[in-house]
Amino acid sequence: MASSGNKNINAKLVLLGDVATGKSSLVLRFVKGQFVEFQESTIGAAFFSQTVAVNDATVKFEIWDTAGQERYHSLAPMYYRGAAAAIIVYDITNQASFDRAKKWVQELQAQGNPNMVMALAGNKSDLLDARKVAAEEAQTYAQENGLFFMETSAKTATNVNDVFYEIAKRLPRLQQAPNPSGMVLVDRPADRATGASCCS
Amino acid sequence: MHEPELHDLSDDADYAASIQQGSASISQNESRRQSTSNEPDGAEIVYTKDNVTIHPTQYASERISGRLKLIKQGNALFMTWIPYKGQTSNARLSEKDKNLYTIRAVPFTDIRSIRRHTPTLGWQYIIVVMSSGLAFPPLYFYNGGVREFLVTIKQHVSLVRSAEDANVFLVNDFQSPLQRTLSSLELPRAVPVANVSSSTADHSPSSADIERLESDKSSASFNQNSRQRQKNHDPARDLSIQVLEKFSLVTRFARETTSQLFRESHLIDGFNPNEGKKHGQSSASYNHIQSSIDSPKYHDEVSVPSDPIEFDKISLVWGKPRQSPLGQQEWATFLDAEGRVMDSKALIKRIFYGGLEHNLRKEVWTFLLGYHAYDSTYAERDYLMSVKKTEYDTIKKQWQSISPEQAKRFTKFRERKGLIDKDVVRTDRSLSFYDGDDNPNVYLLRDILLTYSFYNFDLGYCQGMSDLLSPILYVMRDESKSFWCFVSLMERLGPNFNRDQSGMHSQLFALSKLVELLDLPLHDYFKQNDCLNYFFCFRWILIQFKREFEYDKTLLLWEVLWTHYLSEHLHLYVCVAILKRYRNKIMGEQMDFDTLLKFINELSGQIDLDATLREAEALCICAGENGEASIPPGTPPSLPLEDASVYPQLDDDVL
Repeated sequence: MASSGNKNINAKLVLLGDVATGKSSLVLRFVKGQFVEFQESTIGAAFFSQTVAVNDATVKFEIWDTAGQERYHSLAPMYYRGAAAAIIVYDITNQASFDRAKKWVQELQAQGNPNMVMALAGNKSDLLDARKVAAEEAQTYAQENGLFFMETSAKTATNVNDVFYEIAKRLPRLQQAPNPSGMVLVDRPADRATGASCCS
Repeated sequence: MHEPELHDLSDDADYAASIQQGSASISQNESRRQSTSNEPDGAEIVYTKDNVTIHPTQYASERISGRLKLIKQGNALFMTWIPYKGQTSNARLSEKDKNLYTIRAVPFTDIRSIRRHTPTLGWQYIIVVMSSGLAFPPLYFYNGGVREFLVTIKQHVSLVRSAEDANVFLVNDFQSPLQRTLSSLELPRAVPVANVSSSTADHSPSSADIERLESDKSSASFNQNSRQRQKNHDPARDLSIQVLEKFSLVTRFARETTSQLFRESHLIDGFNPNEGKKHGQSSASYNHIQSSIDSPKYHDEVSVPSDPIEFDKISLVWGKPRQSPLGQQEWATFLDAEGRVMDSKALIKRIFYGGLEHNLRKEVWTFLLGYHAYDSTYAERDYLMSVKKTEYDTIKKQWQSISPEQAKRFTKFRERKGLIDKDVVRTDRSLSFYDGDDNPNVYLLRDILLTYSFYNFDLGYCQGMSDLLSPILYVMRDESKSFWCFVSLMERLGPNFNRDQSGMHSQLFALSKLVELLDLPLHDYFKQNDCLNYFFCFRWILIQFKREFEYDKTLLLWEVLWTHYLSEHLHLYVCVAILKRYRNKIMGEQMDFDTLLKFINELSGQIDLDATLREAEALCICAGENGEASIPPGTPPSLPLEDASVYPQLDDDVL
């Protein structure tokens, strides 16, 4: 859960998505500003943290990067339990990865924290020629399911920081005055227009 | 289910006993229900089922049968599973082994879900998953009763069928978001080892309650059992003391040195650990200590529970000094004229302490991996290789001959190939052997992995396998030979990739037992911080530290592990050695699970292999039989002793 201390909040964020969609690359771009063409597969999980400033508050993301293979699915609840936010990543050049993303959304809706801020990221947006998933299709799906959507490229850095920034803005804590009692149970903000940009 | 299980039953002692017991259990249950429901303190057995059995390995002789119970006290429901005593004819299964798996009073607040499996052939079983993500081994209901078990639970705690999977029942899955949030925040998290009696003492029925419930049993075995339980916890303590005693001199020496250092560091700015070491060595001759040395202020800046073996402050290293690698000339002395290894034990020991020169690996790894027999001749090995080459080509053709039209209708093949294609292009690409565009070695990796996924279709391809194959191909430089060496390695490490994670769970479980044995304060720290699932060591174990060391160091570590010289499970002692090396940092900085995982991942490339191996060796010797007894039989990389053809398939998910 996001927890606050004078508008400096910590938020657990989990990255989920199919094999080789670029989960680790997105995190490394965001946290270290780096990109490796052949980023090795994630074994088990990796943990990173990075802070973003939103208006007069700062959000420290505690980021769990997970292994994508279905075989390791049974370990996923350990990561998304208690997460304030999730980025579900698919590869715009791979239809199966989009289908898998939808399954993750379903699972989070069923099992995850009900206030979780969810982002759908269509990664590898630099590979326009190989596109298999239309941005409109993903946008529609995202809208229907209360996610915000962006196409990203960890390689070119397009929209990477933006995804995290948009998540930070949507965290329930930053949507209203800090609530010292510790429990904020509000719905995700309805307005998603600002986050709906995509690179194409 | 597995073929062998059906005919194994006739000569299975547990099963024979079960037939008698099983029929009696219902009436027993009824009568006890009446007698215990009036217990003044309200601890009540609400469900009993005999002959609920775990299968630590796929072999009938190693199964452990026991009694599963649900106990209610106040509003809390607990599950226990206690193995029967002394019913097995198998000498390999000691009482200790059985006790490893014993489930004592696990509160349902610690349970996340129960998965029911109802195979068309064989017994129904359940897998109980804890909130921590760890699971108990599958519990097979030889006498049926899974449904009754679930119905009983439902009468006492919230049990909801998962919308995702009709066979998964979620415990405490509160519908109200508030309740749900609260529960995720406040529920005590599970201790993911089977032996949870001490950790859940606050919530458990008092031991007196359980004792009383169990004394109702007509069978005397349960009294023995509870006595056994008392004893069960002792070996760890005993060993801790033994270790303490063994190292008492050294400990004193270490503490003395530490406290000296701290005294000095008050006087001079900073200190040089090497100087300290020298100083310590020179003062090792006096072996009395002032009582003030034990006072915490001299111990460490942060008050960290002291360890009998101090690794952090002073780089004292145990174990024999590492030797130089075995070279060509010396290797020749191990062989007779026809190429047989004359003294394989001496060879193994030599490799354990020194490893191999790189140019020898190609030849010697085939023995270490079990592809060639030590007593084979040059001619026999050449012959085997040519036969195996043909065999490899045959298996490879199986997937090569799949036409594009056929592939369209073969989703599993396409998925598998896609996964392998994605992983080989990101495996060790910084190494010149694998770098650059269209590198043929990358295609070899792909071909071997895809062929393996046909050779072992049940296991398939799993992320991590490319990490295990890469060094083998790098060493062998031969497709067929690499394939068969990989096959040999996977005979041992295949269970790491089981769908139900059972191979990994059993190793992480054994690791937690070893840390408890060898560093109780660290174990207690992990317990207090919900780190007992040891998940932060997942990558270490899954791919044998492949990502933790530079490439050539990994080659050395692997050949040392493969000797199985002191233990088949030296890799677990390596884990303990690394954790001990950083224990003061971990505890001093009060690392929580997330921080610990990040810290451990970032140790990659920082670990001193030689020192770690020496420490692992010393810890292994130190732990001795108690160490091996902490590792359940069948824990990878132990080789199965019987029929090796069965590959446990616990799930029917795709891929």
